[in-house]
Amino acid sequence: MYSTILSGALLGVNACLVQVEVDAASGLPAMSMVGSLSGEVRESRERVWAAMKNMGLEIPPKHITVNLSPADLKKEGTAYDLPIAVGMLEALGYFPAGRARDILFLGELGLNGEIRQVRGVLPIVREAAKIGVREFIVPKENAGEGAVIPDVKVRGAATMGEVLGFLMADAAERGAVLPAQDTAGWTSADGAEGPGYDFAEVKGQEMAKRAAKIAAAGFHNLLMIGTPGAGKSMIAKRIPGILPPLTLEESLEVTSVYSVAGNLDGKSLLTKRPFQAPHHTISMPALMGGGAVPRPGVISLAHRGVLFLDELAEFPRVVLDGLRQPLEDRRIQIARVGGNLIYPSDFMLVCAMNPCPCGFYPDRGRCRCTEPQIRRYTGKISGPILDRMDLCTELQAVDISSLHRESGGETSAQIRGQVERARRMQEERFQGMEYRFNGDVRAADIDRFCPLEKEDRRFMEETYAKMGLSARSYHRVRKVARTIADLAGEERIRREHLLEAVLFRPAQEYWK
Amino acid sequence: MEEERYYHQWLQNMKNLTARYAQKLLQRFPEPRELLDAPENWLEEILPPAQFQELLERRREVRSVYGMQEEYERLMEKGIRFVSCHEETYPWRLLGIPDPPVGLYYRGGLPERDTLSVAVIGSRECSEYGVYIARELGAFLGRRGVDVVSGMARGIDGISQQAALESGGVSYGVLGSGVDVCYPAANRALYDSLIDRGGILSTYPPGTPAAGRNFPARNRIVSGLADALVVVEARVKSGTLITVDMALEQGREVYVVPGRVTDRLSDGCNRLLKQGAGVFLDPESFLEELEELAFLKKIKPEHSDEGKNAKEDFGRKYLPAAKEITAMEETKQEEIKQEGTKQKETKQEGTKKETKQERKKPERKKQEAPEPGGQNTKGNKEFLWSRSTPQDLEEELLPVWEKLDLTPKSLEEIGSALGGRYSAAELGVLLLRLVMTGRAKQISAGHFCRL
Repeated sequence: MYSTILSGALLGVNACLVQVEVDAASGLPAMSMVGSLSGEVRESRERVWAAMKNMGLEIPPKHITVNLSPADLKKEGTAYDLPIAVGMLEALGYFPAGRARDILFLGELGLNGEIRQVRGVLPIVREAAKIGVREFIVPKENAGEGAVIPDVKVRGAATMGEVLGFLMADAAERGAVLPAQDTAGWTSADGAEGPGYDFAEVKGQEMAKRAAKIAAAGFHNLLMIGTPGAGKSMIAKRIPGILPPLTLEESLEVTSVYSVAGNLDGKSLLTKRPFQAPHHTISMPALMGGGAVPRPGVISLAHRGVLFLDELAEFPRVVLDGLRQPLEDRRIQIARVGGNLIYPSDFMLVCAMNPCPCGFYPDRGRCRCTEPQIRRYTGKISGPILDRMDLCTELQAVDISSLHRESGGETSAQIRGQVERARRMQEERFQGMEYRFNGDVRAADIDRFCPLEKEDRRFMEETYAKMGLSARSYHRVRKVARTIADLAGEERIRREHLLEAVLFRPAQEYWK
Repeated sequence: MEEERYYHQWLQNMKNLTARYAQKLLQRFPEPRELLDAPENWLEEILPPAQFQELLERRREVRSVYGMQEEYERLMEKGIRFVSCHEETYPWRLLGIPDPPVGLYYRGGLPERDTLSVAVIGSRECSEYGVYIARELGAFLGRRGVDVVSGMARGIDGISQQAALESGGVSYGVLGSGVDVCYPAANRALYDSLIDRGGILSTYPPGTPAAGRNFPARNRIVSGLADALVVVEARVKSGTLITVDMALEQGREVYVVPGRVTDRLSDGCNRLLKQGAGVFLDPESFLEELEELAFLKKIKPEHSDEGKNAKEDFGRKYLPAAKEITAMEETKQEEIKQEGTKQKETKQEGTKKETKQERKKPERKKQEAPEPGGQNTKGNKEFLWSRSTPQDLEEELLPVWEKLDLTPKSLEEIGSALGGRYSAAELGVLLLRLVMTGRAKQISAGHFCRL
């Protein structure tokens, strides 16, 4: 007997369908598996065998051949256990042939027949739904994420026995055996932030808050410099909360990445913007993605959200330099023997660092670092990374009395309102273009999107000459000025917008 | 003469031989050449064992391979000169210090005798306040034709020397390395212009790398070359204070720029002030006190011999040392100070001062250049610093400017000083406009100071 079952494989955060073919023929009793399998897929034979035996199913002495097609695609992961087992059951005639047709199976088997959680259910369901697959059987823990996709039935199964029961039942009774996951409340990302962090909790630090608002509005990268305990992480953590809520499309992208990374923990759809703050000892593959079984790195987990690098100067230079490509392309390409993997990495980079090893510069009364020490410290950050920071701000240490005295100012919701308004202006501006935000605009298009009046142009030249600024920051300053004007709701970039952008100009001006 | 110089150079190059023992040798053997043939037991009497052994070894070298003349000529070719303490051109003030070096290597020129000379010293890691004072003082001295002597270090030293040169003055840098070694390397431009417009001096043989242990000896030369010392910023434990100690030993006037008592960078300065050092309030009055002293020195009869005989009590005779304010001398010091203040009072009458000045030093060519930024001290001569409110500032910017200080302030501090009148963005724009007018400086992303 021959059977064929649908399953899926991950390619980065995308997926493709895999046919699991099982043939049970007379001959010497054996089970062989082919189809470009990696180690963990090969081991599936033992798991399936033991699981079926422990369910009390008898496996007749036949020569069983399993093929995973397309045969030239490298199969990885443990999600093929369930489709292989179902294929064997059909080939061996445990349920009427054809009942498993048009159902996609995913799941890892335990030796006792239970079905365990796997990675990447969402992208596979999404891809299969595009092709027209309407029914899925996945591990119970993954049913939620799969059910996010509209117009499909996703059934979560806890054991192999349930699946067999489902397949043996008549079409009318099926739904009662394995009910489809309820999708109510999951299909829209309302962006409800819940009881998170709020900007109103940050006292003082007006400049840094302003910089964060501008950065959020124009999707600019932000560098915060300040003494330890000034509140750098506090502000960074609140930035996702002032970004506009994820759209459904964005939310699916983010959830897909988390699904592939196996970080979903039974949740269905992620509606909050991600915030990733890796420690500075992070390795290159952990940050960028990759590994023996490829997984998205931290930069992809920060997709559509904020990547926060605290203690920027402590990060190894190679790691920081590795960020250059993803910052530029908004995705990371990982070259593997079997082909290239692409993970999305469209994040907002927020960095924080001390001004000097002791943290008190430029307060010369307290800072005892020598000039070469400071230069060495700041010199750890490579120029190309600094070049990609559009905004730079400084935070002062706050004294306790001001914590009591001062009010927090705007709440996150208020700021988010302004940010959304500014983003709408950008949407209109960049309609039908590859750009989405002011921060994306390339140098060649600066004159088109950030135009300056003749006198303002002259004014900027004068400013640069007088303040001894380097020309390389000029484009960034103009992009930031564009965002400041957007925040003010003005179509024209005015002089005070330019000056404010100059105020937040990136740091290497002081690091000569 | 040239030949004698070789021997001085030979003596100066001995690593372990301190100036003190070198001078002892020179007292016994006025011609260093005689050292080559001096009986060993004579030398042993003068020198401690280590130095004695070194001298013997070097003596043997001279007899076998050491070519003094070649070495001297090689240096000449590189533009490095040597002057011995027996020569006319040897910096005259150094003869007044205890144990002057046997000789000096130099590039460029040597300080002239008749020019007033001031050492400006201070912390390498200085605040904007220190930078400002060092720059203003250096430029002032440069304009008035006073030599600025310092150690060419980062911070106060280099800044004052740079400013002196830029204002057309002359400056001398004393190094703790060979004169052909530019340390710190970042001051290369200064090093080159010092050779053009002053000189680089060192007691160490060319090629000596900079080392921490060389600096105290270097500092001794810095203070020795100056009539007075101005300490701009110093922490309590610092090389600057070592220089001050040496200056006092050498009988140099020590002036100190006062700082805030809460400022760690001025702790050393304020402590010196408490110990009775001269108070530096502004360059004008400082220079007047200095000229007064120089004048007192002038009217005393010329000393007969510039050589070693004259060196005892040299400094003490003319320049009262602050360290020796013993009960006996205290009154004398008091008199001088009173005189100083009296002078300041009379000076305010303006014209009177000019005539007095003319009478005292008619030969002095004074270059009364206008103050930078067009702010003359007219009508307010006592404090160069207390600048009148800039007239050309826009009305909006004035209150912001008033809240600025030489100590960098953060935008938040300035904002709260203004009573929260402006938002962070508005204030930032105002501050940048001030920076544009040249009235303020952005020190870091969030700090501003007055300029």
